[in-house]
Amino acid sequence: MDGPAIELRGLGHRYNGDPVLRDLDLTIEHGEIFGFLGHNGAGKTTTVNILTTLIEPTSGRAAVNGHDVVAERSLVTADIGYLPSEVRMYPHMTGAENLTFFAELSGVSNPKRAAAETLEYLGCADLADRRLGTFSTGMRQRIGIAQAIVHRPDVLFLDEPTAGLDPVGIRQLRETIIRLNRDLGMTVFMNTHQLSEVAKVCTTIGVLSRGELIYKDSMEETTRRFPNETSLEDIYVRMEGVPT
Amino acid sequence: MIGAIATQQVLALRRQRIFLAALGLFMAMTAIAGVLGWSSHNTIVRVYDEAVKLLAADGRPAPPNPFLLKPTLSLVSNMVVYIPFLGALLAVVLGHLSLADDEADGLGRLIFSRKVTRREYILGKLAAAAGVLAVIMLAAFVVSAVSLVIVNQAIPSLGDLVRLGGFFTISWVYLLAFSLIGMVAVLATNRRSMALLSAMGAWLVVTFAVPQFTSGLRPTSSLNPIIDPVSTSQGFFKITSLAEPFSVAEQYKLASGSILATGPVETGLQTIGRIAPTVALVAVLMAIAFALVQRHDFSRSSNGA
Repeated sequence: MDGPAIELRGLGHRYNGDPVLRDLDLTIEHGEIFGFLGHNGAGKTTTVNILTTLIEPTSGRAAVNGHDVVAERSLVTADIGYLPSEVRMYPHMTGAENLTFFAELSGVSNPKRAAAETLEYLGCADLADRRLGTFSTGMRQRIGIAQAIVHRPDVLFLDEPTAGLDPVGIRQLRETIIRLNRDLGMTVFMNTHQLSEVAKVCTTIGVLSRGELIYKDSMEETTRRFPNETSLEDIYVRMEGVPT
Repeated sequence: MIGAIATQQVLALRRQRIFLAALGLFMAMTAIAGVLGWSSHNTIVRVYDEAVKLLAADGRPAPPNPFLLKPTLSLVSNMVVYIPFLGALLAVVLGHLSLADDEADGLGRLIFSRKVTRREYILGKLAAAAGVLAVIMLAAFVVSAVSLVIVNQAIPSLGDLVRLGGFFTISWVYLLAFSLIGMVAVLATNRRSMALLSAMGAWLVVTFAVPQFTSGLRPTSSLNPIIDPVSTSQGFFKITSLAEPFSVAEQYKLASGSILATGPVETGLQTIGRIAPTVALVAVLMAIAFALVQRHDFSRSSNGA
C-alpha cells in the first residue's frame, strides 16, 4: 500500500455547472474509522461517488492507497468496498447468489467460498438461501455489508449506513464496523447523520459544509477542543454555525 | 466479467414474472400457430373429401387436392406475424428488464465500484439477451417442427428443416434489435416507466407506422395479390417506395416468406438484401448502447417510477 488510505487534493466537482465540492483537501491514514459529517447536499455522497470511481472529479485529484481514482480505476476498485445508502441488491436472487455475483465482479478466485465465508464471518449464514425480496431492512443491511467486504477490501465506504435501521440494527452495525476495523484492518470512511454513532465508532471526523471541509481532527482531540459541549451534536452545530 | 454479468442476468430473468408471462404467451402462440395450421389443413381436406364424394356421385372427375399445392411450411406462416408482434414485445421487455432493475435499484453503484468496466457490463447484458432469445427461438423451432410432424404425419424434409432454421435465425436477429431498443431506452431516459414507454413507442413505429407509410397507404395495398401498385408514379408514393427497403418489419416479413417458401420467389441475394437493414439496425443500436453506457451516470438511482 503506497501512501495514505485516502488522499484528496484540491478536489472539486460540479453538477450541471453548480459547484458541489470546492477545493477539498483531506488525508485519511490506514486503520482509521473516519466519520464524514455534513448537512444534506453538503457534498458527502459526491465525495464517496468520486472515491468509489462512480463519477470523475471536475478538478483536483483523489487517490485510494496511492492509486488515482481516474487513471488507475482498476487498482482502486480492487482495494475498496462500498455500501450505498439504500441497499437494494437483486431481489430475485438469494443472499448467497448475490454475494457470489459481486465476488465474481471483484475478481475473487473462489466466489462461492468467499460468499459463504463472509456470511459466516458476519453471523448471517441463515440468509444464504433466502431471496432478498423477503428480507427486512436490517437483513438487507447485513447482506449489503457482506457484499462490500466479500473481496476483503482495504478501504470500506459506507454511505448513511444506519438509515432505516432500528436500534438493534444500529448496534449490530456499529459492532460490525469496529470488528472489521480491528480484525481485518479495514479503513472505514463513513458518511452519516447519526452523530451518536460517530462518537461511539469513529477515530477521526471531518465536517463538510457547502462542499468545503471546515473541520477535521481525531475524536479525542475534538472532545478536548470543545470541552463545554456535552455531545458531538452540540459540537457539530457549533461548527456548522461558525465555519473556521 | 462478461460471463458473470450474463449468467446473473439469465438467472434473474428466469425469476422475473413479467418476463415469464411474456415468454409463456409467445410460446403459447407458437403452439397455437401449429394448431391453427392443423385446423386449416383438416378443414380443407374435409371439404375436399366431401367435394370428391359429390363429384363422384355425379360421375364427374375430382380435381387435385388443393392442400397438396400449398407449401409444406405454410403451416407455420402465422409465426411471421407473431414474431413481429408478440416476439418483438417479448424482446423489448427482455431488453428493458436487463438494465432497468440495475438502474432503478441503484445496483449500478455496486457494480461499477468494482473491477468491471462499462464495456464488459453492456457486453454481458447483450450476451444474456442474445442467449435467451436464441433459446426461445430454438424452442419455437422445436415446437414448429413438432407441429409439422403432427399435421403432415411425416418427418419434415432436411430442406424444410433448414428453411425453418433459417427463418428462426433471421427472427433472432430481428428480435435482438428490439432487445437493444429496450436497453437503449433505459440508458437514454431517467425514469423506468418512460424507458418502457419509449421502447414500446419504437416498437409501434417499426411494426405499424413505418409499414403503413411505405406500403399500407397505397390504394392497392389491400388487394391481394397485387404487388406493384399502379400509383407509384405519383410523387408521394415514389417517396414511400424509396423508404420501403428500410422498413425492417416489412423486409423481415418478405424475407421470412421467401425463406419459408410461402411468399414470392426470390433469389438468395434478394433475401439477404431484405435482412441487411435489420442487421444494420442491430449494429447501430449496439453502437448507441455502447456510447450511452459510457456516459451514463450510475451513481444515481432512478426512483423506479
